[in-house]
Amino acid sequence: MSGTATSATTPATFLRRIIGNVQALLSLLVLLVILTLVALAPLVAGPDPTSADLSSAFGGPEPGHPLGFDSSGRDMWSRLLHGGQLTLGGAALALAVALTLGVPTGLAAGFYGGWFDLVSGWWVNLIMALPAMVVLLASRAVLGSTVWVLMVVLGILVSPSFFRLVRGTVANMRAEPYVDAARVFGLRDSRIIARHVLIVVRAPIIIQTALVAGLAINLQAGLEFLGIGSGDAPTWGAMLNEAFTNIHQNPLGMLWPGLALGLTSGSLVLLASALRDVLEDRDDQPHTSGPGEHPREADTPTTPRHAGARSELLSVRDLTITYPGADSRPNKVVRGVDLDVHPGEILGLVGESGSGKTQTAFSILGLLPAGGRVSRGSIRIGGTEVVGANERTLRRLRGRTVAYVPQEPMNNLDPSFTIGDHLVEPLCATARMPRSAAWKYARELLHQVEITDPDRILRSYPHQISGGMAQRVLIAGALSCSAELVIADEPTTALDVTVQAEVLGLLRRLRASRGMAVLLVSHDLGVVADLCDRVAVLHRGRIVEVGTTEQVLTAPESTHAQELRNAVLDDVPARQPWSPREVDAQ
Amino acid sequence: MLRRMRRTRAHTALAALGATALALSGCGTGADDDGEAGGELTIGTMTMPQSLDPAEAMGAALPFFQAVYDTLLLREPDGSYAPMLATDWSYDESRTELQLELRDDVTFTDGTPFDAEAVQANLERFPEAGGGQAQTLSDLEEVEIVDDHDVVIHLEQPNPALLFYLSDAAGLMANPNALDDDTLATEPDGTGPYELDTGNTAIGSTWAYTRSDDYWGEDLPYDEVTITVFDNENALVNGLRTGQINSALIQEVDQQDVVADDEDLHTVDQDIDMQSLLLFDREGEMNPALGDTEVRQALNYALDREAMLEHLRSGQGEITNQIFGPESVAYDPELDTYYDHDPERARELLAEAGHEDGVELTLPKMQEIVGDPLATSIENDLGDVGIDVTWDNLDEGDAIQSIMVEQAYPGMVMNNAQPASEWVTIVELVLPGTFNFLGTMDDTIAERTAEIQQAPEGEAADAAQELNRHLVEEAWFVPFYRMTYQHVTDDSVEVEPQSGMAVPSLYNYSPLD
Amino acid sequence: MINFVLRRVASGLVLMVVISVLTFGLLSIPDTDVGRHLLGPAAPQEHVDAHNASLGLDQPIWVRYLDWATAALQGDLGRSWFTSEDVSTTLANRIPVTLSLMLGVTLVTAVVSFTLGVWAGVRRGLVDRLVQVLAVVGYALPGFLITLVIVLVFAVQLGWFPAIGYTALTDSPTGWLATVTLPILSLSIPAIAGVTQQVRSAVIDVLHRDYIRTLRTRGLSSPRIVFRHVLRNAATPALTVLGLQFVGLLGGAVIVEQIFGLPGVGAMTVQYTVRGDIPMIMGVVMTTVIVVVVANLLVDVLIGWLNPKARVS
Repeated sequence: MSGTATSATTPATFLRRIIGNVQALLSLLVLLVILTLVALAPLVAGPDPTSADLSSAFGGPEPGHPLGFDSSGRDMWSRLLHGGQLTLGGAALALAVALTLGVPTGLAAGFYGGWFDLVSGWWVNLIMALPAMVVLLASRAVLGSTVWVLMVVLGILVSPSFFRLVRGTVANMRAEPYVDAARVFGLRDSRIIARHVLIVVRAPIIIQTALVAGLAINLQAGLEFLGIGSGDAPTWGAMLNEAFTNIHQNPLGMLWPGLALGLTSGSLVLLASALRDVLEDRDDQPHTSGPGEHPREADTPTTPRHAGARSELLSVRDLTITYPGADSRPNKVVRGVDLDVHPGEILGLVGESGSGKTQTAFSILGLLPAGGRVSRGSIRIGGTEVVGANERTLRRLRGRTVAYVPQEPMNNLDPSFTIGDHLVEPLCATARMPRSAAWKYARELLHQVEITDPDRILRSYPHQISGGMAQRVLIAGALSCSAELVIADEPTTALDVTVQAEVLGLLRRLRASRGMAVLLVSHDLGVVADLCDRVAVLHRGRIVEVGTTEQVLTAPESTHAQELRNAVLDDVPARQPWSPREVDAQ
Repeated sequence: MLRRMRRTRAHTALAALGATALALSGCGTGADDDGEAGGELTIGTMTMPQSLDPAEAMGAALPFFQAVYDTLLLREPDGSYAPMLATDWSYDESRTELQLELRDDVTFTDGTPFDAEAVQANLERFPEAGGGQAQTLSDLEEVEIVDDHDVVIHLEQPNPALLFYLSDAAGLMANPNALDDDTLATEPDGTGPYELDTGNTAIGSTWAYTRSDDYWGEDLPYDEVTITVFDNENALVNGLRTGQINSALIQEVDQQDVVADDEDLHTVDQDIDMQSLLLFDREGEMNPALGDTEVRQALNYALDREAMLEHLRSGQGEITNQIFGPESVAYDPELDTYYDHDPERARELLAEAGHEDGVELTLPKMQEIVGDPLATSIENDLGDVGIDVTWDNLDEGDAIQSIMVEQAYPGMVMNNAQPASEWVTIVELVLPGTFNFLGTMDDTIAERTAEIQQAPEGEAADAAQELNRHLVEEAWFVPFYRMTYQHVTDDSVEVEPQSGMAVPSLYNYSPLD
Repeated sequence: MINFVLRRVASGLVLMVVISVLTFGLLSIPDTDVGRHLLGPAAPQEHVDAHNASLGLDQPIWVRYLDWATAALQGDLGRSWFTSEDVSTTLANRIPVTLSLMLGVTLVTAVVSFTLGVWAGVRRGLVDRLVQVLAVVGYALPGFLITLVIVLVFAVQLGWFPAIGYTALTDSPTGWLATVTLPILSLSIPAIAGVTQQVRSAVIDVLHRDYIRTLRTRGLSSPRIVFRHVLRNAATPALTVLGLQFVGLLGGAVIVEQIFGLPGVGAMTVQYTVRGDIPMIMGVVMTTVIVVVVANLLVDVLIGWLNPKARVS
């Protein structure tokens, strides 16, 4: 639930993005106007908020009294602004208390775990089990009936929400290797927390803060309604309640405090949700799209500029993939790519990070991430055009004709289902196999990917097996519906060296036994050399060279292929930016 | 007619929800029995009894008790007394002995006869049991049993309100066998017209009563009576408008407005509570200025009662300067307007008393009684003449504590009922005690009250009027006005207000033809 | 599993003890003269003192607590100081009312929030905007305002439902339904606003996961992926929030019970706490803690059932 791509956000880009988001900007603006008016109440409010003249009770607006008068003949505008000081000040106090109590303890509990985690967790359970109303009333009886007392108590009562949020996020990232690495390098904990941890929890805290602020304001109004209020000090809740008791004599009296309350908490919610989009949305990360985000504006396949002989299995012509750029100028990440994969062939698609190889692979599967679209070209799988095809056509191809082996095995298994479920579901749904037969076949598949105790693995959940095992399972999944073409996206990058070799061997053997074709996406020429029949080199979205493996590796024509080849010697696997993972990938 | 249509629609809505029949039990069915005898009466109220033990009865919760207990005397709606468990009564010369003749045909549910012993046990227990009204019988010396159905109540001194008390909390008669247990609080045992239906009663929210089969007296018109307690008038009015409540007392002006807009609801107005600033410190112990009669008079002159009544109560009420109500013999219409709104005169009086520089006054503010509008209007009016008011916010929980026990304030704003019996008012407000906890006295008051005490209730009219005038002139109190409350009923019930009581007796409800 | 439940029950018991000490102390600090409050201003001081003594108020606080605790352990929660009602009986009468609301609201909220949240998260676009607007409205309006409008419109004006009162489910199921519908509706609106946001957010989060894409490449249909895989994974955070909402309803019910004149636990809390009716409030507090502990336990068990990883920890 926490942010994924936040570590890359600097304050400057953050500000820029907020300004770029209309919703965030507008709600911020409304809040700013309200805050300014309230802060400047002594200057702009006019009359004293407590000065009353019974003869003008319920009086309408008149010069100097823009909103008219309440039941005691007090100026509504003045009470609204002065009341705002108490209402918003109270909410701020509640927030301050909640943040002070919740965030540091949450950080410590999440980061260090151990006894502190246990003790603070228990306290949080205690606070959450406390009957809020009784505690509020009793503390009020003990400490006095001011807004401030109520808000401090409220702050304590809502502090668990911050604690849990922060603790959860931090505990999740605590397991990440780079935090260990930072420790090994001798960084002090305070520094690790400041540099790494705070950045991760920042976004969720900001969002939660906006929500809790709205909650505090509304709760305060509710307490006033119950007569547990601020005495005679003006607050928006008190005004609303006072207006309510006179609603039939002066129905308009509820409008202004209601509007002030509604606008403020409404803006806070809007701001929170906009912030969530700005801070947490993974729109800059090439991932898959949701089902609703398919290229609806289905791009029609365009006539290839040079047809050539097209392979009957996979044939890509003039493929161009476009993303909306920064200032809505289209950003082409793949341009005019031609590819062919013949039955039984292994084609390596190589290139450095960002060269467009993964995008090409996704476009073949019809699964470009949100915003991406095939703006030109044609992709045919087994003679069926993929570009512009509807969901049904694509689904018929997926699994049965073309299958996929992902890069990061652990992230690609649904943690809520057993390995057996993972294998059986497509067999039943896609290959229409009866369930019992599917289970038998799944077992057989695990045998084929050289898993020695398939029964145990079938019953296991993803977090119970190793990364190499998971990758075998994913390969088995790709094989399950007898696909003719497997698209393998860096299938060994996330595995350690010995497992890598095993998996490569497995792929090689499977190709031999099943005669399937493979499109192997990789930046690792070693892997390519080991496995591929032919190689296509991608550079900045264009194919710069295609040829047999031997040809490309020993006598590259293009400079990029040469560079790539030279780089193999000191190749270090490129790491993706950190994102919270459920489990270590071994 | 309108109401019928509404109910029909309720059926439709429920049918749409997959329900087959509208079967609201409890307080839902009140309005189904339009006017026919033998139906069900649902009363909504905001007052609840602390217990159903007569020793802990309070006047405001009397209907809860009247259902299950009878009083010795019946107090008619106009405040006069009629036979109930006692058929006849008479005082001796000294007015310290009251002879009661009791009914001989009444028994409690377990067969225990209601007799002289029962009266003795109940009356002698009442002042000892420490209920809220215990002091009303504090003068009781003994209850003498003459024979099975005759008793004589011996008092230490005459008490003109004794008959009132015997028709009120002190007169409720419980089964003598149950007096020693704690059970009466939740399992009342009396001779009344109804029995508590414990199955449908949820103490604290709903009290359900069903007709007692063998009631000795004349049956009340309803087979079942439900009294439901709410904590806000908004719910009461909603219940009246949907026909779920047959009758309720509505005090807030805004809710009265809502009622006025609903053609199906009937209202009977009654001026019951007097709202006033009660002064405690008339000798200037806490606030020396209040020891000066001029200052107290200035308080009275400073208030613009007409404006207060108009703006705070929408004109619903009568302004007054006296603590006695129109039903009392002490009442003098002239005294309602003894003090005009005269800020100039108030300032003069303050100057005469040597307070040219102003007076400071700190008063308690309980949200339930003193809302913001009332507080600011008092503050403004008094501030106008140089009396600087500071309000202390008090919670319901500690109000009595700090006002009565710690005696922290020289006065308070309060709503007091104005019963017909002048002695009840005198005991409550004038004589040393509850609202005169500092025990202030002067000769006139001592003499007049002694005179009233010796005379039968309502017969010392001259003395009572003299006392009243003296209290007004000496400005012992700063009354504002008598507030009009509304008895609101739906179209099936008629209610007759009870003299001097905000809550009508249970006997005052009848089906409307 | 049984071990887990037992541990939680044990920790819940400890929680009850600690909370009972805390609240008893907190309630006893204000030096309210209960006897005076009860007997009114007119009662003589010796009566007040006697009454206080009969309530045990002349004892030191720890003696009072121990007396209360010993009796409570034997199942005797005592009697209300102010209405003499038996605390256990009162709670037995009132808890079903509040629980009806809480369970009803939670059910409605769960169904509506999951439907809307999944719909908004999957479809985005216009539906998503609408859900956002709903969330803003639900958050922006104070709950009591929503309730008052609902009573006026659906009970008083249209007459579709009773405006006040409660009918026990055991007395009449239809009557029960009629009396709880509007209160549940009133409480559900803000709850739905909050939970829908969470479901939507969780759904979007899950949709971005790699395994969803991989499942897609297996040829599974979108509805299948959404209802089998997305929903199950999004349920964990959403259930957590739903659990918090449920617990929060204990407080939220106060206002709604007052407006609808429902004889529940919420409505009495304010009044009895202000008066300082310690036996009654302690009863309410203990019940609350039990409800909270059980609710949290249920949520955890449910999450463990849905999410195998939560089972190990």
